[in-house]
Amino acid sequence: MGHATTIKNPGTFEVSGTIKNILIACVAVGVVTFAFSLNADPTRAWASFVMNHFYFMSLAIGGLFFATLQWITGAMWSAPIRRVGESLTAYLPVVFVTFAILYFGVPKLYLWSHMEHVKGDLVLEGKSGYLSLGFFVIRNVVAIALWIFFALKMVGNSIAQDASRDYRLTEKNRFWSPVFLIVFSLTFTMASFDQLMSLDPHWFSTIFGVYTFAGMFYSTLATICLLTLLLKSHGKLDGLVNENHLHDLGKYMFAFTVFWAYIGFSQFMLIWYANLPEETGYFIRRMEDGWMGVSTFLLVGKFLVPFFILMPREAKRNEKVLRNVGIFMLIAQWVDMLWMVQPEFFKDGPRIGLTEIGVTLGFLGVFGLMVFRFLAKYNVVAIGDPRLEESVSHHHQ
Amino acid sequence: MDNQTKAPHLAGVIGFFSDPHQLLHATEKVRDSSYKHFDAFTPYPVHGMDAAQGLKRSPLPFVTFAAGLTGCTLGFLLQYWTSVVDWPIIVGGKPMNSWPAFVPVMFECTILFAGLATVGAMFLLNGLPNHKRKSFDPRITRDQFALLIEAPVALEADRAEQFNESKAAEFLKSIGAKEVKSVYSEGWF
Repeated sequence: MGHATTIKNPGTFEVSGTIKNILIACVAVGVVTFAFSLNADPTRAWASFVMNHFYFMSLAIGGLFFATLQWITGAMWSAPIRRVGESLTAYLPVVFVTFAILYFGVPKLYLWSHMEHVKGDLVLEGKSGYLSLGFFVIRNVVAIALWIFFALKMVGNSIAQDASRDYRLTEKNRFWSPVFLIVFSLTFTMASFDQLMSLDPHWFSTIFGVYTFAGMFYSTLATICLLTLLLKSHGKLDGLVNENHLHDLGKYMFAFTVFWAYIGFSQFMLIWYANLPEETGYFIRRMEDGWMGVSTFLLVGKFLVPFFILMPREAKRNEKVLRNVGIFMLIAQWVDMLWMVQPEFFKDGPRIGLTEIGVTLGFLGVFGLMVFRFLAKYNVVAIGDPRLEESVSHHHQ
Repeated sequence: MDNQTKAPHLAGVIGFFSDPHQLLHATEKVRDSSYKHFDAFTPYPVHGMDAAQGLKRSPLPFVTFAAGLTGCTLGFLLQYWTSVVDWPIIVGGKPMNSWPAFVPVMFECTILFAGLATVGAMFLLNGLPNHKRKSFDPRITRDQFALLIEAPVALEADRAEQFNESKAAEFLKSIGAKEVKSVYSEGWF
């Protein structure tokens, strides 16, 4: 067929032994710091655990969300990089494990799990039907199971297409994509309500799910961009991904920088304007003492800096710029997670120390190992995709 | 107009191509030839045509950016002036200069200014609308792709001498035009 003769299959990608060892060392560091800080300062340990659990869970499900968007729209431009998004789902099974570990942190993290606090508090009593340990565990486990189900199904179809080159597999994924998107939007909103918003069980914000979604896709796009650049620097995408594809990825990152700011501001402004006592606590905590600096960093660093850097056309076509902005965006998203979790426990300011960095490295190590294991096992490009050939010669203005 | 009183002069030589890929490659050859004035006509936008014609990037994005910044600033100043300077009213116990409340209007002004300026500058830059121009062959809006090598304007008499009609026609044929004809100015040029 046309594909076989014109496009060379780049095959799988084996990461160097050094990087693998570094990642394993990261996991060890993470386990040791977490175990150590569980004794020294359990609240801090669990706070950094839940934020990293959510951060990397977002990347894993974000990869599937990215791939789903390509299937549902029948996108041509993304054909050679869609597999990079699919590879992030390799971390999804680990989310089961981290959620199981999080179970033991529930008493430290969530006020609603203590009956003595709930009793006599009208708001918490009213919410106790939903915010109860059993229901919390069941609905989150079901959500993760659903995500794994869709990942196995759709990424499985995509991988099967590598060998069979059967276009009907693309059509199957196009059928499953809208189903997944509906399930995803409901379950991801629920997961962010449960795991992050209920850290302050009195507070509520109906846009909160969209806010975490904005951060999720923001960081997922940065991750996909960085992985694409890594594969490209190893010559795995020669003749497959050119600066036009990078340009499109850059535009995507730019767009979701704006989207995050839009949603973040919408959440803030409505609460600030209405000034209702039951809602304002969340932002008052984040505008006092050391937290005002973090909030300012989010406005400037998470929005304005990538916004202006990614604005010129040449920046989006430049690998070096994209790499640096991508890394910066991932750090900004990490600070945003910190900003969502820590003010509920530490009113005077952020805690960024060995605990936070160690636990983050641990998660990063596991995430890296899982994603690289996927890339070492399967082709780094969806070589059987019917739109690949058209996309490879992708030219546009 | 002046044009109509004069005898129609040679506007150029046009060649027709039946598919966009042919046209794209032919355009590249004209770009690399000694003909400096040429244009391509297609029924729909063809990807890669800008590069094939050797067109420089449009300055339009800079207009958009500048207008956007202007809109943002004016949007802020309008609200600052009305709610702090000209007619201060306390709303909801908030400070006069409550910038978060100004942001939606600043945002909308950014979009409005940037959008209108972009459309305006686009018309200025591409010289539209131009009611004097006429389509010289209706087929280029249907299924034909055309390439026009323009003859220098008649006023530049010395250069018009140099333009060799049959040579241009030969050249167009050599790069794949299946039909070539000379076109005369009828007020569209």
